Amino acid sequence: MTKTLLATLLALGAVTAHAEIATYAVDPSHTAVTFEANHFGTSTLRGRFDKKEGSVVLDKAGKSGKADITIDTSSISTGVPALDTHLKSKDFFNAAEFGTVKFTADKFAFNGDKVNEVSGTLTILGKTQPVTLKATNFNCYINPMLKRETCGGDFETTITRSQYGMAYGLNYGLPDSIHMLIQIEAIKQ
Amino acid sequence: MSAPRLPGTASDPPGGSGLAWGGPARRPVRAGALVLLASALAGVVHAAPQNFAIDPDHTHVHWELKHFGTSTARGRFDAITGSITMDRTAHTGSASISIATAGVSTGFAPFDGVIRGPYLLATKEFPTAYFVANRFSFAGDALASVTGDFTLRGTSRTLTLRALRFSCRVDAEPAREVCGGDFETEFERSAFGITHSLPFVADKVRIVLQIEAVRQ
Repeated sequence: MTKTLLATLLALGAVTAHAEIATYAVDPSHTAVTFEANHFGTSTLRGRFDKKEGSVVLDKAGKSGKADITIDTSSISTGVPALDTHLKSKDFFNAAEFGTVKFTADKFAFNGDKVNEVSGTLTILGKTQPVTLKATNFNCYINPMLKRETCGGDFETTITRSQYGMAYGLNYGLPDSIHMLIQIEAIKQ
Repeated sequence: MSAPRLPGTASDPPGGSGLAWGGPARRPVRAGALVLLASALAGVVHAAPQNFAIDPDHTHVHWELKHFGTSTARGRFDAITGSITMDRTAHTGSASISIATAGVSTGFAPFDGVIRGPYLLATKEFPTAYFVANRFSFAGDALASVTGDFTLRGTSRTLTLRALRFSCRVDAEPAREVCGGDFETEFERSAFGITHSLPFVADKVRIVLQIEAVRQ
C-alpha cells in the first residue's frame, strides 16, 4: 500500500518535474562531504565537514544544471579533537583566514534521466582548480514527510591537495591524493 | 609508550601538535633504519603471539546506510577500545573490541539524538556494542579476514570483517610496531531488532572499520 502510494507520487513528480527548470536547496541533514586520506600506508583516515549550504538548479528536460556549495572549514570533524585542531591550523585548511571551501559547477552530464557527472571548480585556501564529481547513485523521489521532490545521490572525486597549496607532511609520507565522498540531497523550492 | 587514550579526553594536547597525523615523534623511520629496526623486532615478532592495543586516534567504526534509495548517509562511532592478539607465524589471532554506542556521530546533532534513542540503538539500555573474534584468516602474511560475534542492542550474530588493506609498519620514536588497516562488512540491522524507518532508510548497513593497534 505504502509502496504503491510512493510509486504513484514518484510518477506524478516525474511528470511535473520534466516540465520546468527547478531550484533545489541543499538539505543539510542529508548532505555530507567526507574525505579519505591514507595514513602511512596502513589505514584510511576519514573526516567530514559538518556545516555546509548551497543550492542546485536542475533542468531535467534540458539536461543542464548549476550548483553552488559552500563548506565551513572550521566544522571539520574526524572524531579526534587534536587532529581537528591541527587540520584547522595553517598547516592545512587555515580556517582563520579561509573560512570556506567552495564548489561551483555549471556542467551537468546526464545518463538518461540521471545526472552522472558534475564539473566545475573547487576553491580551497583561496586557490581554484577544476574538478569533476562522478555520480555513483542519483535519484529523485517525493519525500512523504515534506511532500516535495528531493533529488540527490552520491558523488566522488579525488583531489591533489598540493595543487591548492596544502603541502604539509608530504615530505614524510602524508598523502597528496585525497578521495572525496559527497552525499547530497536537495529539496525542490 | 603512552597508554591508549579515549578521544576527546583532557589528555589531548592543545593547539594541534600533529600527534594524530603522526607528527615528528610518530614519523615512520627512514628506509635504512627501518630495515635494522624491523630486523631487530623480527626476532621477537615471529616467536609467539603478540599483543596489540588499539590506538583510539586511528580507530573508527564508520557506517553507511542508503537513504530513500538515493544517497548514502554516513556516521561513525568515536569511542572504541580493545585489544588484539596475533601470531603472524601460526596465522592465528583473537580480538576483543568495545564500541560505546553513545559515541555515535553523524555531523547532524538531531540525528545523533534519534539514533541514541529507544527506537534505534537504545544506548541507555545497551551502552556497548562488542566484536569478539577468534578466527583470523591470512593471505600470505597479511591478515585477510576476521570472523567473530558482533553484539549490538543485546543481540549477537556472526560477522566476518574483510580486509581491504592490512599492513604493519615500524615507527621511529617511540620505537614500536603498528599494525592495522581497513576492514569492511555488511549486515541487516533488522537482525539486531533495529527496524525503525524501514524501508525508507535501508536495512543493509555497510561498516568500514579503520583500525591501528600498537604492539605491546
